[in-house]
Amino acid sequence: MSSESSKKRKPKVIRSDGAPAEGKRNRSDTEQEGKYYSEEAEVDLRDPGRDYELYKYTCQELQRLMAEIQDLKSRGGKDAAVEIEDRRIQSCVHFMTLKKLNRLAHIRLKKGRDQTHEAKQKVDAYHLQLQNLLYEVMHLQKEITKCLEFKSKHEEIDLVSLEEFYKEAPPDISKAEVTMGDPHQQTLARLDWELEQRKRLAEKYRECLSNKEKILKEIEVKKEYLSSLQPRLNSIMQASLPVQEYLFMPFDQAHKQYETARHLPPPLYVLFVQTTAYGQACDKTLSVAIEGSVDEAKALFKPPEDSQDDESDSDAEEEQTTKRRRPTLGVQLDDKRKEMLKRHPLSVMLDLKCKDDSVLHLTFYYLMNLNIMTVKAKVTTATELITPISAGDLLSPDSVLSCLYPGDHGKKTPNPANQYQFDKVGILTLRDYVLDLGHPYLWVQKLGGLHFPKEQPQHTVIADHSLSASHMETTMKLLKTRVQSRLALHKQFASLEHGIVPVTSDCQYLFPAKVVSRLVKWVTIAHEDYTELHFTKDIVEAGLAGDTNLYYMALVERGTAKLQAAVVLNPGYSSIPPIFQLCLNWKGEKTNNNDDNIRAMESEVNVCYKELCGPQPSHQLLTNQLQRLCVLLDVYLETESHDDSVEGPKEFPQEKMCLRLFRGPSRMKPFKYNHPQGFFSHR
Amino acid sequence: MEVFQALQRLHMIIFSQNVSPCGKFLAAGNNYGQIAIFSLSAALSSEAKEESKKPMVTFQAHDGPVYSMVSTDRHLLSAGDGEVKAWLWAEILKKGCKELWRRQPPYRTSLEVPEINALLLVPKENSLILAGGDCQLHTMDLETGTFTRALWGHTDYIHCLALRERSPEVLSGGEDGAVRLWDLRTAKEVQTIEVYKHEECSRPHNGRWIGCLATDSDWMVCGGGPALTLWHLRSSTPTTIFPMRAPQKHVTFYQDLILSAGQGRCVNQWQLSGELKAQVPGSSPGLLSLSLNQQPAAPECKVGSARGSGDPGRPGCVDRSVTTLLPLGPDSRRQQLQGGCLYQSGLPSFLPVLLTSSNTPTSISGV
Repeated sequence: MSSESSKKRKPKVIRSDGAPAEGKRNRSDTEQEGKYYSEEAEVDLRDPGRDYELYKYTCQELQRLMAEIQDLKSRGGKDAAVEIEDRRIQSCVHFMTLKKLNRLAHIRLKKGRDQTHEAKQKVDAYHLQLQNLLYEVMHLQKEITKCLEFKSKHEEIDLVSLEEFYKEAPPDISKAEVTMGDPHQQTLARLDWELEQRKRLAEKYRECLSNKEKILKEIEVKKEYLSSLQPRLNSIMQASLPVQEYLFMPFDQAHKQYETARHLPPPLYVLFVQTTAYGQACDKTLSVAIEGSVDEAKALFKPPEDSQDDESDSDAEEEQTTKRRRPTLGVQLDDKRKEMLKRHPLSVMLDLKCKDDSVLHLTFYYLMNLNIMTVKAKVTTATELITPISAGDLLSPDSVLSCLYPGDHGKKTPNPANQYQFDKVGILTLRDYVLDLGHPYLWVQKLGGLHFPKEQPQHTVIADHSLSASHMETTMKLLKTRVQSRLALHKQFASLEHGIVPVTSDCQYLFPAKVVSRLVKWVTIAHEDYTELHFTKDIVEAGLAGDTNLYYMALVERGTAKLQAAVVLNPGYSSIPPIFQLCLNWKGEKTNNNDDNIRAMESEVNVCYKELCGPQPSHQLLTNQLQRLCVLLDVYLETESHDDSVEGPKEFPQEKMCLRLFRGPSRMKPFKYNHPQGFFSHR
Repeated sequence: MEVFQALQRLHMIIFSQNVSPCGKFLAAGNNYGQIAIFSLSAALSSEAKEESKKPMVTFQAHDGPVYSMVSTDRHLLSAGDGEVKAWLWAEILKKGCKELWRRQPPYRTSLEVPEINALLLVPKENSLILAGGDCQLHTMDLETGTFTRALWGHTDYIHCLALRERSPEVLSGGEDGAVRLWDLRTAKEVQTIEVYKHEECSRPHNGRWIGCLATDSDWMVCGGGPALTLWHLRSSTPTTIFPMRAPQKHVTFYQDLILSAGQGRCVNQWQLSGELKAQVPGSSPGLLSLSLNQQPAAPECKVGSARGSGDPGRPGCVDRSVTTLLPLGPDSRRQQLQGGCLYQSGLPSFLPVLLTSSNTPTSISGV
């Protein structure tokens, strides 16, 4: 087998040499007579299948010959050499055939390769072409979409509708016969029409502008004329004033007041309107006026909200800084306080005239930043009053209106929101500023239509006319009663200080004709002094001795007996009665603690005060009570049982007529006076 | 009129009081003619609130002050100016309670209607004795409601009455300074003691009136203008004079002690020998009556109560302990009944010391 394979390789080597191949070509040239020798061409003519058969047959022949040669050689005969020679020739022919076949095969292979290569190149070319075409298609498609997506500017223009266009546009633009079928032309035409219309409108606009200019100029001229008219009118008005005055028609004044009223803050405005209305409708004695600088009010009115906001902002900052550097900022804090407590520059003056020509002047202020109203009061009388020492507080602006309604002391701010504002600037209570600002009584807020519900925040506070109106009448009446009762007290105190208890004739029947005990002293005392008295403990403990009350000390004397009476005068006098506490110095000290009859005397004046009120409006109550006290002291002293062991006549002989001296388990004395019989009995 | 109401309260005086038959309620009458009913059991219970010390019911009983009250098994009898009225205990707690009946003793007409200062029940003959401003003792038959007899002899009005249980005799003390002993069988005066005439007890600067009186067998204690004195009735001699300067307005025997109250803030407990055993201070500056709750059925309501005069608004009361004489702790159950001006105290722990006997349920009410 190894020899076979080496034989097969041989032709290959030979072919690569080239030269031997030349020789073979020459041989095949001879076989192809008449034509130039070309094995390449020969290949085409031969059938590869038959070549394959030939190759097989040649190989078999070679194998057979080889085997015969080997056979002959192994036998080794003499004739064998010839036969071997013969057979060698035969095999050489076969080898030639094989060589030929080999060359053919090579040529075929090369040919096949070339063919394949050629075909491949063709395919490549086609492929490239295809790619190009596809790209072109894609590009075109892109272009198409781009075109499809193109938007013309004219689409944004709002065109008139189609019907309108054909109706209104002139035929040279609409060209109905052309455009009806062609939407493009139609749109173009419509755009033309739009342009035309816009041109016309622009023209119109220019016209209007010039027109306006003209009118402005006209107005200017007329204004000038009017302003020149004002001084002339003013002078006419001025000239007519004496006539108005002469005819008692204060139109001008009222008009001016209403003019000023427009600048009032809402609560004061409500107050002004309501009091004016009430004064005109119900009470002619009421007069209302506005005071203060209108200019300042106007200046305030200009930037209303902003300044306040700034205020609160800087307040907050202020607070922060003050925490750190309080001492150095003391002055600034002071300014803040002043700012917070600032009043509106305008105030409303209310003059309430009473029957006896005395006048109560009320000035209402509005604290802008606190949103509350305050009032200052002053009483003037027709005749000059000699002021008794003890009456000092009666008409003082600080106390004259205290407790007009029960519990309304006017010392605390009625607006719950204020407390927070105070905390910021370090004001403890409004009380310290009340003297300066006026009192923020609740009724004042109500007259101004300000209502402060306890639970709700400040912002619900609005000036309300109906609230003001509903409180107007009662408050005015209360004010009048208050002033009158204070004036009555004032007068009474003058005589009380001289030891005279003034009893009017219509109250005379309450007392016996002869009263021996005399009032010797009537002085005012301080609240603290009152609470320190040993016999007033009960009243203090019962909470009836608040510091808004006025306190007095009366001394009633008869002989050696001295009766001290500590009096609590409620600001609401005379609807709330004065309260008396007694201490008798006679044969030892007697108070309600150790003597039931002193107690009985107290209840005679304190509890049974109603019969002492006298004619309405019971201004005589206090004096009647004092007179009653004198009578009671008489009865007490005269009915005191005589001590048999003491020599001499009784100090106080019994002059009063009594049914019985003592009665009941507590041995009461007959304190009740019966008119007109004139005797004393037990209650 | 808040001020007026406060003043009215300040000047209220409780003249009389009475414990209900069941021992659980206390009626108190004041100078405005109102009767207020308090619940003792509620006010003295350990969980008593402020509210339970106020009257359960208050009603207008008389026009004038209610000077005296007693109660029978079923009725509360109250007396004021000239009239005695009866109320049913069973209905008294209902609103709008109306009196069962009212009677007026036969007075001779006068300018003034005489008051009734004292009521006394005589259980044996089922009658009621009334005494007061007309200086007479009127006996009323409770069965028929008629006035059967009148005893006269006093020269001034009568303050107080007391009954001697054994012999049917009644004692009366009056403004004229005399204590008179009446025999109910014969309707005659049997004995007169003019206390002020005895030098030992007379105190002329206080007057001669006898404000209170109580008896126990042959013994009688009386006080008022004259000093509080214990008398032996058979011999008509003062045996003990109690060293109390202030006039006494109410006195009563309690076992072997004498309780008295009057001008001053205290209820006093005396030994028969005249030794001051204890003083129980109250809030009222003067007391007009005391009453004992003897009802065993309600042991939790052993109470001392007293009326308030003097002290405005806050009626008087008996307050236990606190006195130096009583080695008791701080008062833990003192109660105040408001509105009716009554002050009350639960006394259970105080009784053993104060009254020596611990078993008997007792209460002191005073006006």
